Amino acid sequence: MNPALEAPLIAFENLEVRYAATAAPALKGLTLSLERGIVGLLGPNGAGKSTLLKALLGLLKPSRGSGTVLDVALGAAESARLRGRIGYMPEYDALIEDASAYEQVAFWGELSGLAPEAARDRAHEVLYFVGLDESRYRPVSGYSTGMRQRVKLAQALVHSPELIFLDEPTNGLDPDGRRRMLDLVLRVHAELGTGVILASHLLGDVERVADQLVILDQGQIKAAGSMAGLRRALAKRVELRFLDPLSPAQEAALADLGAVLEARNGLYDLELTEADPTGAFRWAEAHGATLVQVTPRHDRLDEVLLRALHPDAVRGTGLRPTPPEPPRPDQSEPAPNLTPLTGPSSQREA
Amino acid sequence: MPIYAPTLPPAPDLHLGQPPALVLMRFDLARLWRQKIGRFFGFSFLVVLLWKVARIYVDHLLQTNQAFKPMQDFAKTILTQGAEFQADLLNPTSYLLWFLVALVGGGLVARDTLYRVRPLMYAHPVAPKDYLLAKLGFASGLPFLILLPFALLPWLMSLLLAGLNGPVWATAPLRLLPAMAISSVLMGSLAVGASSMAATPRAGIGWVLGLVLGAGTLASMIQGLTGFRAISALNPVLLAEAWPQLFVGVSRPLVDWLPAILGTAFHIGLWTYVAARRTRPSEAVI
Repeated sequence: MNPALEAPLIAFENLEVRYAATAAPALKGLTLSLERGIVGLLGPNGAGKSTLLKALLGLLKPSRGSGTVLDVALGAAESARLRGRIGYMPEYDALIEDASAYEQVAFWGELSGLAPEAARDRAHEVLYFVGLDESRYRPVSGYSTGMRQRVKLAQALVHSPELIFLDEPTNGLDPDGRRRMLDLVLRVHAELGTGVILASHLLGDVERVADQLVILDQGQIKAAGSMAGLRRALAKRVELRFLDPLSPAQEAALADLGAVLEARNGLYDLELTEADPTGAFRWAEAHGATLVQVTPRHDRLDEVLLRALHPDAVRGTGLRPTPPEPPRPDQSEPAPNLTPLTGPSSQREA
Repeated sequence: MPIYAPTLPPAPDLHLGQPPALVLMRFDLARLWRQKIGRFFGFSFLVVLLWKVARIYVDHLLQTNQAFKPMQDFAKTILTQGAEFQADLLNPTSYLLWFLVALVGGGLVARDTLYRVRPLMYAHPVAPKDYLLAKLGFASGLPFLILLPFALLPWLMSLLLAGLNGPVWATAPLRLLPAMAISSVLMGSLAVGASSMAATPRAGIGWVLGLVLGAGTLASMIQGLTGFRAISALNPVLLAEAWPQLFVGVSRPLVDWLPAILGTAFHIGLWTYVAARRTRPSEAVI
């Protein structure tokens, strides 16, 4: 196998980025290693997603720490050549309004190192790939939001990059446009074998396409893991309904089943220690409780995000704050549902 | 109707492209041509070209008809006048040229800022120095190209009116070329520096005009107050006019050599530095 394919797509250790020497760090000592695939970079606005992408592109110099992208060290002399192997689709409208899609995609192709004629041919191909073949000669100032997003994707793909960074690719799109854009992202990875880093604040987008997830907030990695692992963890989430309220002793014994996330009016949200929910019935029989309903909670990915971002304030449904509990030794502990790829960044800060 | 592959084939070799600065300059030129002001320039150059064609026809008449002998004498007397005549060739275009530099150069960097194109450029294998070189090259090359026909006018006219052995061959007009190059770089760096400080092309035009007129006014005020004549070398308009005078050897130039060198170095250095600072990758991140 090609050794380059065995190397992690991106790896960084203790990465810190500041916009000015005296400013607070925008990224605070991040440590992570990502495999080839589609990585969802999730976090609220201002979490540091775009800053991380720009640091990985070499637009911002790390003030501390080290990292590699496609096995090339960040800040290395060959980082300019590395950018020829990366495609970047920015969040904002970085389009030249008075030029047609064809002209500007060919221009970006030339800037990536293609010869003028090859860039023109390539612009036709890539615009066809993203579905803009009919309107490619019109100035982009007359394009709809969806078309503009596709021009941005086309310019990111024009030079056949090994890796593309997509910053909020579904911004401003209607549900149909969003579906089509995410389909394109899946095709880019499946058909072209291109690694994808998709930064978004929209959980649905990430859930739909990503096979790895990184949750970022306030410049720190709150949690990271594979989507498969996350889904397995979510499969352990159940809601138990008992006929009668449990006694304090029974409630304490619930810990044998798993972690109690929330309790209200005879309903208990649990994260089971084992994926098999039938153990709950055996537990009820052993402890003299009448279990009337076990509801798997497979559809609660949004809670993972909220719990990762606000581990204290919001638990369970993510909507109802629970009574205060004793302070945890490390507030940036990853959400229990996620299997961290590496430890949380803040642990290394000290 | 082209036939496309069902999926995207791999891109061709990425190492056969042109230098990024050249790609950027070519794109700026195409962009200028798309604008009305670009077509205006194109029309102006076309007029110059037509004028040349007309002169060639006149030359044909001169060669074939002795009735035009007095015109050959005219070429010998007029076109061999002194340095003042040579330097004056560029004067009528001076203010007009500054205005055109402001119109075109003012939006050169500001347009990229407005459309947020620069971060995307730096996400490609484009170094900040490539970007700066492209913008400075374009902003300096444009006034140089516009001035070129004016500088070569006596040379061309001598050729047309007096033939290959005409009187101007051995004299000064080609000395205007380095003077024009310096003036053009001065104009280009000032336009790019001013444009880099603006958020929109219109603001860029304002910045260029403001800086040019402001520097001129400031220099005049200081000169008026102190009587220090060399301070007028801070005035970029005066500098652009002074360089042809210095190169062709005018007896009383607007500015002497040393102040002209210092003033020009100050402006080129300052505005190139400003443009370099304002177009750094970290500044491009919005």
